[in-house]
Amino acid sequence: MSENIKINVNGNQIESTPNKLLIEACEDSGIHIPRFCWHKRLDPVGMCRMCLVEIETPRGKMLVPSCTTEVTDEMVVDTESEVVKKAQEGVLEFLLINHPLDCPICDKAGECPLQDQTMAYGPGESRFVEEKRHFEKPISISEIILLDRERCILCARCTRFSDEISGDPLIEFIQRGNKTEVNTFPNEPFKSYFSGNTVQICPVGALTSTSYRFKARPWDLKSVRSTCNGCPVGCSTELNSSQNKMLRILGVDNDSVNQGWLCDKGRYNFEYLNSEFRLKNPLKKIDNELKETSVKEIYTELSELISDRNTNINFLIGTNSTNEDYVAFNEFAKNFPTTNQTFYLNDDYLYAGFFEQDINRATIDDLNNSEAIVIWAEDLKENLPVLYLRVRQAVKNGVKLIVFGHSNSTLEDIADFYYSEDIVSENFEIIKDISKLKGIKEHVKDKNVTAIIGKSTPYQLDEYLDKLVSYLVENSNSKIMNAFSSGNTFGAINNLDNVKNLRDFTKNVSSENTDLLFIVGSDPIGRSVFSNEIHRIIEDIDNVVCLDLFLHETSELCNYIIPTSSTLGEKEGTFTNIEFRTSRIDKLVPSPGQSLSDWEFISGLSNFCNFINNIDSLDGLNELAYQDFDNQDSPSFKNLDKPSNFDGIINDYQPNVSTMPNETITSQYFVGKKLYGDNITIRYSDSISLLGAKQFIEASESTIEKLNLSSGECTLKQNGHQVSANYVVNNKLADGVIFIPQNRRNFNRFDFSETIEISPNQSKEALNVN
Amino acid sequence: MSWNDSMIKQAKKIIKMYPQKRSAIGPLLHLAQSKDGYISDDSIAVISELVGITEVQVKSVSTFYSMYKQEPTGKYLLSVCKSISCEINNSKEIIDVVKDFTGLNNNETDENDLFTFEAVECIGACGGAPAMQINYETVEGLSSENTIKLCEWLKEEQPDVIIAEEMQDNFGGTKSFDWAIKDQSGTTGSVPGFQTFNTTKEKK
Ligand code: SF4
Ligand code: SF4
Ligand code: FES
Ligand code: FES
Repeated sequence: MSENIKINVNGNQIESTPNKLLIEACEDSGIHIPRFCWHKRLDPVGMCRMCLVEIETPRGKMLVPSCTTEVTDEMVVDTESEVVKKAQEGVLEFLLINHPLDCPICDKAGECPLQDQTMAYGPGESRFVEEKRHFEKPISISEIILLDRERCILCARCTRFSDEISGDPLIEFIQRGNKTEVNTFPNEPFKSYFSGNTVQICPVGALTSTSYRFKARPWDLKSVRSTCNGCPVGCSTELNSSQNKMLRILGVDNDSVNQGWLCDKGRYNFEYLNSEFRLKNPLKKIDNELKETSVKEIYTELSELISDRNTNINFLIGTNSTNEDYVAFNEFAKNFPTTNQTFYLNDDYLYAGFFEQDINRATIDDLNNSEAIVIWAEDLKENLPVLYLRVRQAVKNGVKLIVFGHSNSTLEDIADFYYSEDIVSENFEIIKDISKLKGIKEHVKDKNVTAIIGKSTPYQLDEYLDKLVSYLVENSNSKIMNAFSSGNTFGAINNLDNVKNLRDFTKNVSSENTDLLFIVGSDPIGRSVFSNEIHRIIEDIDNVVCLDLFLHETSELCNYIIPTSSTLGEKEGTFTNIEFRTSRIDKLVPSPGQSLSDWEFISGLSNFCNFINNIDSLDGLNELAYQDFDNQDSPSFKNLDKPSNFDGIINDYQPNVSTMPNETITSQYFVGKKLYGDNITIRYSDSISLLGAKQFIEASESTIEKLNLSSGECTLKQNGHQVSANYVVNNKLADGVIFIPQNRRNFNRFDFSETIEISPNQSKEALNVN
Repeated sequence: MSWNDSMIKQAKKIIKMYPQKRSAIGPLLHLAQSKDGYISDDSIAVISELVGITEVQVKSVSTFYSMYKQEPTGKYLLSVCKSISCEINNSKEIIDVVKDFTGLNNNETDENDLFTFEAVECIGACGGAPAMQINYETVEGLSSENTIKLCEWLKEEQPDVIIAEEMQDNFGGTKSFDWAIKDQSGTTGSVPGFQTFNTTKEKK
């Protein structure tokens, strides 16, 4: 590391690392320089000139933009001189020339950098009497984002974000000079999984979201810091509510995880919290009808069933609970010798994974610090979106990217080596000698490698992945990250003693060995590829208790339904992410009706049955979760609440996942997940619900031709089950491969091991002849 | 794709001349313009696919430069200079004369698609101000009378090739330089003349 240099700012000496931007060096020493276009996570452009400061040069003092000037040793800077002030006033006066000043009806007002900096640095009055430029008031540039071009100050933050960070530059400056505007190409909307970030970083109210528009005033908002439980990346969030209603989620800059960004699912998939369809009261099935009841009555009935402790109980547990919830179930299960402490996680992609001692675990930051990244997993952009952004960032920094498999098509564009059909078979097996591949020979062998490994489809055999991992472990200095992609999977596998997956559930659980089944926050019937089997099993079991937010395909079948508090903003706890980083989940809004947290329900039941109860307080559960760790770095509430630990604490867990390896491939199709699905929470989040509703299949052009599809729509048929869908051309898929998104409605009801008949829909005219 | 094979072939040849595909956008836009006389959204889509950037990024470049036309122009693009040197030499009058003759306001095209009028920034003929361009061929030292005659000539003769030299001899006045080599080539349409794109021609 090179030595720090000293610069003089406003008469005070400050230190900085060399090559830092002046604006950042000042910021780090507590000297704030106003700015609009500069953003720590984006390349500087020097677009707005708000950050002008004076520096001493051999030719006297000079105004320079501090966001494009790097510090040099003994630089002398003035950020407050009369000249600087005049410059700031001038810049603001210019910016306001065309600004509509419609603050009273602008969502940004109250937290608007333009408003704030005009107050702090502006001239106080305007000399501009001419007509301002006019544009049609907000135009929608996508289903969820609106753009008011009159308010735009052309800082290029949104366009830089979409180009540099998310890599889907669908918005750009159009025209020049006074006519410049941000816009999309006709019929090419700003369809990005990360578009909400542009709304967050826009320094004015030009970009707004359909979700938050006109909902609240910033000064009315309550907020807490929390962690997104949408996927195992665990992005740091700030939750905002007003009048006890969750209204907005913002990304918080956690340097090691999300660096301020969120995916749109994480950002907008909260609206369901306020849905009128939320369960409010406990329900009980009487004569095939669900009737309202009380928790106490459910406790009474269950206690009759379980108090002798010989009941055969099984647990089907979702990935949307907190670590404390999982601990509660784990402790509760210990009361029943017959359960073998086995928990079936609601995930068809989960498998034993790579957690052995001799495998080094990767952190997200390792991506940046390695020479190469090897990825073989579900499509990261669809399933671990912000991890995808971090991979992009690493690649931008020069790390080589090697990707296997046709499911990672969104990574193809940035991969240095993309190994698909010739190397990875239709069944997701590497059919060539790994060591002979050019990318591996040149960039992996004996190099520092970070690998992201997970199943590309529920049907992929574990052994195929094992082979690649053993190669990496033996031949490179590798760190491995398990790419399980749903919610708090890592919290579940840490805190539940023995975790299995849905395939195991279908093999092991039946009415014969189960008197009572708990289903917690899971809708496997609506989402998993084992839908039909699970449906049969659940139907057969006499007593099924379900803890959930909504009635859905699975909860409908249960005998007892307990409304629960959502992990998103309705309860406290901890969450463990993909790198085993544990951070805080916090509560901001009350949950509806008689909702309980999972742990509250289970602890109450335990109490009711007079079991030894060590699970009756959240703090107690939190302590139990982390009792094995050294006090110093245990992610207990106490430690996590220290500001230095807000970003979470990484710990070395030894999870116990013991899924049975599947031995035969049982799918003729490539089954995978899309970011937006048809799951219940998305269905009830109005602004994004439509994004997950479309039913489609993907195939290459030649495959589509072979299927004789030509009309744009087709019908998938099998044993009386039928779904009509659009087809999308995806030439990245190998010949003959058909991609079916399992999380779009009704697709998961097909038996993928059998042929599905795919036929073109007759054109509308043909149907209309009567 | 709305480009024919020979255009695609030419585009690919152009792209090969640059280390990065996207650097070829400029000439590709000229190629598009040589075909349509303006940059259509279809062409933008083709270019975006050829160089591997998004449509809106291509659009951003094409709309930045005023010589990439966003709409079709008439057969003759009349660009009268309104910058400082011409302004002091009475360009206002020339502009008025052209507007009068054509009945057009700035950036308008007549209904016969014959003339498009625009008032433009300096066209590099300050020494011969006031000046204008017809299809990017420059005439200098204009007077009101000659401007009208020039417009009438265009309207009546409707020449297919516009040649600066020829217009200068018939309708021009003082020139910036009079020592340049005679150039008998001109433009074949309302787009800049480039040999590469077949938009320039010698007079037979
Ligand atoms: S829309 Fe917002 S972020 Fe984008 S350029 Fe305009 S002011 Fe900047
Ligand atoms: S990437 Fe995952 S954790 Fe981050 S915002 Fe999206 S869903 Fe939430
Ligand atoms: S912040 Fe430096 S020019 Fe905009
Ligand atoms: S100002 Fe008219 S040609 Fe230069």
